[in-house]
Order: sequence, then C-alpha cells, then structure tokens
Amino acid sequence: MIKKLFSFNVLLFLFVSGCSLGAANTDEYKVVFNNRPSQQGDEEQHLTEYTVAIIPKVINIPYFNAVEEGAIEAGRELGVKVIYKGPTVADSKQQIKIIDELIENEEIDVIAVSANDPEKLIPVLKKAQNHQIKVITWDADTLQEGRDFFINMVNPETLGRHLMDTLAWNVGEQGEFAIMTGANSASNLNEWLKWIQQHQKEYYPNMKLVTIAATDDNPNKAYLIAQKLIKDHPQLKGIIGNSSVGPPAAAQAVKEAGKAGKIAVVGLSPPNPMNEYLKDGSAQIITLWSPKKLGYLTVALSKNMATGVHPYDNQEIPGVGKIRMLDDVVTMGEPIDFTKDNVDQYDF
Amino acid sequence: MIFRHVRLRNYKLMTKLMITYLLLTVIPISVLGYVAYSQYTNSVEEQVGEYIPKLLEQANGNIDHHLDEMKRLPDSLYNSPQVIEILRKDSYQSKSNLLRDEFLVNSFLSRTYINGGNSDILGVFLLSKNRLYKSTKVTYSGLGLESSFLPYGQDLDLEGKEEVLLPYETNLKFKGNPPFILLMKQLRDFENQENLGTMLIAVELTFFEKALSNLKEEGQSSIWMTDSAGRIFFHTDPEFIGKFDDKYSEYPRINGSFRTTGLADNDLISTADFQGNDWKIFHSIPLSDLTQEADAVRNGTIIVFILVVLLSIGISILLAWNVSNPLNKLAKLMKQVEKGNFNVDLLIDSRDEVGTLAKSFNSMMQEINQLIKKNYQIELRQKDAELYALQSQINPHFMYNTLETIGYAVEEEETEVVVKMVTLLGRMLRYSLNNKDRVVPISFEVLHTNNYLTIQKFRFEDRIHFEIYEEIDTNRYYTPKFILQPIIENAIKYGLEEYQTCVIQIFIRKTANNELMIKVKDNGPGIDETVLSKLNGLLGKDPMAGRNSGFGLRNVHARIAMIFGDPYGLEIKSKIHEGTEVIIKIPMLTGEQAANISGGVESA
Repeated sequence: MIKKLFSFNVLLFLFVSGCSLGAANTDEYKVVFNNRPSQQGDEEQHLTEYTVAIIPKVINIPYFNAVEEGAIEAGRELGVKVIYKGPTVADSKQQIKIIDELIENEEIDVIAVSANDPEKLIPVLKKAQNHQIKVITWDADTLQEGRDFFINMVNPETLGRHLMDTLAWNVGEQGEFAIMTGANSASNLNEWLKWIQQHQKEYYPNMKLVTIAATDDNPNKAYLIAQKLIKDHPQLKGIIGNSSVGPPAAAQAVKEAGKAGKIAVVGLSPPNPMNEYLKDGSAQIITLWSPKKLGYLTVALSKNMATGVHPYDNQEIPGVGKIRMLDDVVTMGEPIDFTKDNVDQYDF
Repeated sequence: MIFRHVRLRNYKLMTKLMITYLLLTVIPISVLGYVAYSQYTNSVEEQVGEYIPKLLEQANGNIDHHLDEMKRLPDSLYNSPQVIEILRKDSYQSKSNLLRDEFLVNSFLSRTYINGGNSDILGVFLLSKNRLYKSTKVTYSGLGLESSFLPYGQDLDLEGKEEVLLPYETNLKFKGNPPFILLMKQLRDFENQENLGTMLIAVELTFFEKALSNLKEEGQSSIWMTDSAGRIFFHTDPEFIGKFDDKYSEYPRINGSFRTTGLADNDLISTADFQGNDWKIFHSIPLSDLTQEADAVRNGTIIVFILVVLLSIGISILLAWNVSNPLNKLAKLMKQVEKGNFNVDLLIDSRDEVGTLAKSFNSMMQEINQLIKKNYQIELRQKDAELYALQSQINPHFMYNTLETIGYAVEEEETEVVVKMVTLLGRMLRYSLNNKDRVVPISFEVLHTNNYLTIQKFRFEDRIHFEIYEEIDTNRYYTPKFILQPIIENAIKYGLEEYQTCVIQIFIRKTANNELMIKVKDNGPGIDETVLSKLNGLLGKDPMAGRNSGFGLRNVHARIAMIFGDPYGLEIKSKIHEGTEVIIKIPMLTGEQAANISGGVESA
C-alpha cells in the first residue's frame, strides 16, 4: 500500500513538475506577435560628411556674400562641408577653371553652380558628373543636360513682370527707361529681360526702353554705365537694375547727378547696399528674394541629392519653408519688395 | 511494471473495471478539453495580438498626422507681415510701442489660433527677444518671462525644427489640468536667416483619445504612451500620466504583441513605435477579457466533465456491479454446493453472458443433482432387485415344493428323476450364488429358466409345457440376471390356477430396431383390460412400493430401465381367456459393452 501511494505520488510529481517546467523556463514576457522589431534605440546616425561645392557667378558682391552666409549657415546646421568658391568677375572661363580644380583636387559629392554661361559650362559639368559628382544649378541655369535640376529663386515671368510694374508705378507709366543687366550670357537675366520687355509691350505702351546695358556684375563698370546712361538720355525717367549690381550703381549715379526722384531706380538688389538710397529717395523700390535663403536652400538640396533624395513639389525644407517643383526647376518663393519703410527689417 | 501489473491483477474485479472505465472516460475527455481550450485561447491571443498592433499603428498614424498638422500651425504666422515685422524688431523701444506690438501680436494669435478652427489648442505663446506674446483659452500658470522652466531660451537653436514637450517637462499648467503637449517651434526668419523667436503651442490631448477611440471599446483595456525613457505622458487612466512605466525597460523591443506570463491575471500587451519620434504606444488588455468566452466554455466544459465523470463513475459502478455481483453470488452458491447443498438456484434473468452463465450453472446443478439422484436410486433399486432376486431364488416355498417332489420321487424310487432334479436344483443354486455379475450371457439366463421350468415340470408333470425359441446367438449377447424367472413364476401361478395345462413359450429374437426382444407367452387366463393398463402403468413406478401383485414384474422392469434407460423394459399384452405376453426389450448387448455396464454401475 505504501509503495502504491509512493508510486502514485511520483507520477503526480512528474506530471506537475512537467507542467511547471514549461512555465519556469520561459521569460517574463512571451511574444505573441512580432510585426517588425522596434527601430528605437537601433538608430545610428549616418555620420558620413558630405562635401558640397557652391559656385557663385562672382564673389565679393553683397548678393553673393549673402548667399555665402546662408550656405555656410546651412552647412553648419546640416552637417555638410561647404566649399564656397567663385570667380572674382562674372566670367564663365574662370568658373570652368574653378570647377575643374575642384573636381581634380577635392572629394566632392555635389556641385551647385550659378552659371555665367548656360552652354560653356556644360563640358566641365559633364566631367564632374563622370566623376560621380551630382551637379545642380542655382540662381542661373545651364542647359538641362548639364545638371539634375535648377534652383530658381522666383518664377522668372513673375519677377520680370513685377520689375516692370515697380518701375511703372514710379514713373507714371510713361517715359524712357533703361535696363542695366549683368553678363549678357547669363540665362536667368535674359529670361527676366524677356519678361520685362514683354510686360512693357502688353501694358505700358507709353513707356520706351532706350537701352540694355551689361555690367558684367562689376560695380565699377556698372557705376560708369549708369553715369553714361544719365548723360546720354536726358529724357530718361527710370532705370531697372536687372542684376544685383545695377541698382546701387544707378542710385549712386542718380544721386550724384542730382536727379534723385526724377529718375526712378528699381531693380534687383539686396536691401543692405540700397538702404541709404531708398531712404534718401535715390531709389524707390528694390526687389529681391533672400539670397541667404537661397544659399541655405542650395546646400540643403545638395545634401539631399548626396543622400539620394530628389526635391518634390511642396516639399518642406527646414529653415526655408515649402518649395515648389515644376519639371526640373525648383522655385524657392516669391520676390520681396524693399522700400524705405521696410528696408530695416532685412539684413543682407 | 510487471510488479504493478501483478499488483493490479490482485485487485477486485469491480475495482479494476471501475478504474478502467474511469481512465477510458476521464483521460480522453480531460486531454481533449485541455487541448481544445489551450488551442482556442492561443488562437484568440494570436488574432488579437496581430490585430491590435495594426490598430495601434493606425492610431499612431492618425496621431502623427495630427501632430504634423499641429507642427504646421506656426506657419500661419508667416502670413502676417505685420507680426513678422514686429518680431524682427528688437525690444529696445518705447513702452507704448512695445505695448502696441503686444496688442497686435496677441490679437493676431487669438484670431488665428484660439478662435480659429482648431479647438484643441489651449494656448499659444510667442517668445521673441525678451518679449512674451500669448493667447490662451483658459487661465494658466507656470509660464512667464521670468520663469526659468524653459530649457530652451529664445536663443536656443532648434535648427528650424520643432520639438514636442510633454506636460511634465514644463511648469505650465492650465486651469482644470487638462493633459496637453507643448509644441515648440523655432520661428525662423527665412529671408534674413535669423531666429525670430520661439513659438509654443499647447495642444490638448483630446485628439489622442479620438485617435484611440476605436481601440478603447474593449472592456478593461488601457492605453498609454511613453517617451523613450518610459515616462507615461498619456494614459487612459489620468492617474498614471507623468509617472514612469516601471516595466518599460523589460518589455521586448518589438512592434507587436507580447503577454506577461508570471502574473495571476496576465495581460496581452501590444505596442507600436511612432514614426516621427521616439514615443511608444502601449495597449494592454487582460487575457481573461479576451478569453472570456473561452473561459465560459471552459467552465461549462468542466461542469459537463464533472457530470460525465460522475455519470461514468455511476455507470462503471453499475456495470462493474452487474458483472461482479453475479460472480459473487455464484461464488457464494459454489461454496454452498461445496458443502453439499445441491439445491441452489442462481436467480438471474438477463440474457447476456452472465445470464447464460447463470442458466448454465443452474442447469449444471440440476444435472448434477439428477445424476446423483439417479445413481443413488439405481444403486438402491439394484440392491433391492438383487435382494429380491436372491429371495426369489431361495424362495422357501419353491424349495419346499421341489424338495417334496424329490421326496415323492424317492418314495417311488424314481432315482433318475431324483438325480436330475437334484442336479437342476444344484445348478439353479449355483447360478444364484454366482452373484458377481449383473449381466450374463443370455444362454445362462435361458439355461436357468430351463432348469426352473424343468423342475416345475417334474412337479406338475403334464400340466406344464414349455418351449424356448432362440433366434440369435445367445452366447454372444448379454442380459441382466433373473429377469425371466419372476415372469415365468407368474405365468405358472396364474395358469395353473385356472387351467389344467399351462403352456409357456419363450422367444428370443432381434427386432427391426436392432434390439433384443424376449417374449414370454402363456395360455393363461389373461388379464382384464383395466387391470392390464393399471399394471402397465405401475411398471414405471417405484418398484419398492409394496409386495403386492405385479411386484416381480415391476422389479424386473425397474432393473432393466435402470441399467439401459427408459425405452427399455417390460411390456405386457394380454387378452382375457386367451393368454398373456410379456415382452422384454433390451439392447443388443455384447460382452464388451456388458463389462462396461457392470463396471459403470458398480463405480456409481
């Protein structure tokens, strides 16, 4: 009888321990369903530093200095090494040389160019592409084949027509006017010129374009040209500066000629160099976008290109805001007008 | 095992049967029930475990979407150049200018955010260059220029991104203590690429609840969200908000479901990451909630199981009892039989094997009883018959008559007759004395009869005639002893009473049925029909009933019947005034079979 009880107990014990053994060996938590492992904690930041070369049309003018500031700022914030190098004069040959040197001497992921000439730069940009360097353009475009996309500041039609409007407001929609553009070969300037003239023909028949003078973005040359314009065209009512060098030179010349208020000066220029002229009436309205923002955006999009992200319509770029994308052209935003009332708000 | 087996074999049959029945019912039912239950609960767990994370991810998506919308809220500010202009200004201005700016911005904030479409916004704060603009829905405390709660001053560079501050990260409190998150976004002056300030938007967490509403249906489920440190910033039970989930670090790091195993009431916990940040959302539901139905089924099954077990115990007891009880009865009866009581009856009516057994037992006992009776009585009758036969041989009357006849013969000096009679008498006496064998060759019996009749013929001279016809080999076949003499005695007695002469004919022949027939025919007075039928009837009766008329015949019949069985024996045919025929029927018994019979009878 005792033996029998014993053997029964042994059986019972084996059964019970068999049950509890299963429970004791498992963890406190039993995974029922696993969709995918949690990414939290596993994230490793890509610490690869990309190098982006930003090539402006020319250096040492306020506009491109402001771009540089934005680009450097973006480089710091986004962790990108930014090389900002450009020719001292707006010349495609010098640009080509600089790009060539960069391709040969530096490890570069992306080159972003504001092209002085849409065609002449193509070979060197292709060479860059052959070196596995992504090429984009900003400010001034090249032919499509030379780059992946173009970062435009504003819609050229909008800008061109708006520039014409700002002059028309200040001259009573009549009289002679001249345009000071940058390099004759710069595609963006030519695009704007086209729309300025188009707009004038459509809406301001009483106005007459007397001449289009190229300054090659050289402040000295621009100043001389402005003086010459004032002298050559006594009936001149207004000057449109189609590149950022134009308006300050024109304003200075107008001021010196004692014709402040009589010859309206409008155009594209950063507000800082125009601050005084706007306030003393030598210039009326200056239009531009934020070159800092442009520099920032160029670096941001360059970095995205390096990581393989193409820009898309309505994309939110931190520090810049939303961008538009149509075909292969990115548009940064709308133009800003600077007058004597708001010019103090801006610092570039 | 053999040891156990041997032990088991010694148990009572009823115990064994009961154990067998129980094992056969209880084990399969319990195994089946257990497997079905665990399979069902597992599948429920898996389904829910798969389903809830998907809902969670959906909810996360909704919340993310909502947060994204929230994050876009500060953008409206850029639509107001006036506000931007104010923000761009530095704070070193006259008091009235500052207050005017404050009025302008505050009213813009109220217009755009508080009175705008989004009802979840509790308050908006704008910090810029030591100026604080604000608009709130309810009164608040804990946020001011002088307060140092803000880990991020307006100088902090968020690099244009937004931060989400959880309630416990700030001192900010609103009246009524609604749970909220604080969206912090640095306002960037895109044009100047400078900071304009920092915007703080407090958003009530009602949208969490909305997003989670389809998850909350289930009874006792709870939902909470934690940051990467495991701190709960949202919980369906507001008590937990702000506390740490102390198990957080132990949870498996998955997007899916797991369940606790160690607790008394285990939970199924599902979790999912947020895409946008390092939050996690958890959903916990007690397993008992999920398996409610299964548990009901389980409890029902257990009740049914217990009932079935009880029923099967009852049935097994009944069945076992049904089998073992008759056996017990049988054993008891056997014991009685052992003690000598054969008058037992196993009273079982069923037609199954047990009933058959009982019937067999009963019939066996009857058979045994009958055999015993039969042998016992045969023995008795045998002895009795032999005693009678013995008596009839040394019938003093016969002896006296014979001796008297011999005496007359001596007087008349008929020595030849004397010698013959004495010889015959001697032979008869020897035949009688030779008492060992029960059956003898027919020739012996015939000789004995012949001797007897011859002696009688000497006495009655011409009054007696007899003839013996033997149609078979009388040496070869056997017959019981002393079966003819009582018949012949009767024939002589009644024949000589009525008539002058008595003729006796004896036929020994084989019948068509291969039986031996001995017919004793006389020419006596015959027997009355009523008497005859009475006599024939009496033949089967107890031969010891009395020594009245017909006793001798009955004795003979009884002995034959006892030895050979019922079909054999005497038959009397008679017609009044014409004579009587007594027919003896016995089997054709050869010497070999005769030896068996003698032995068989003797051994019984």
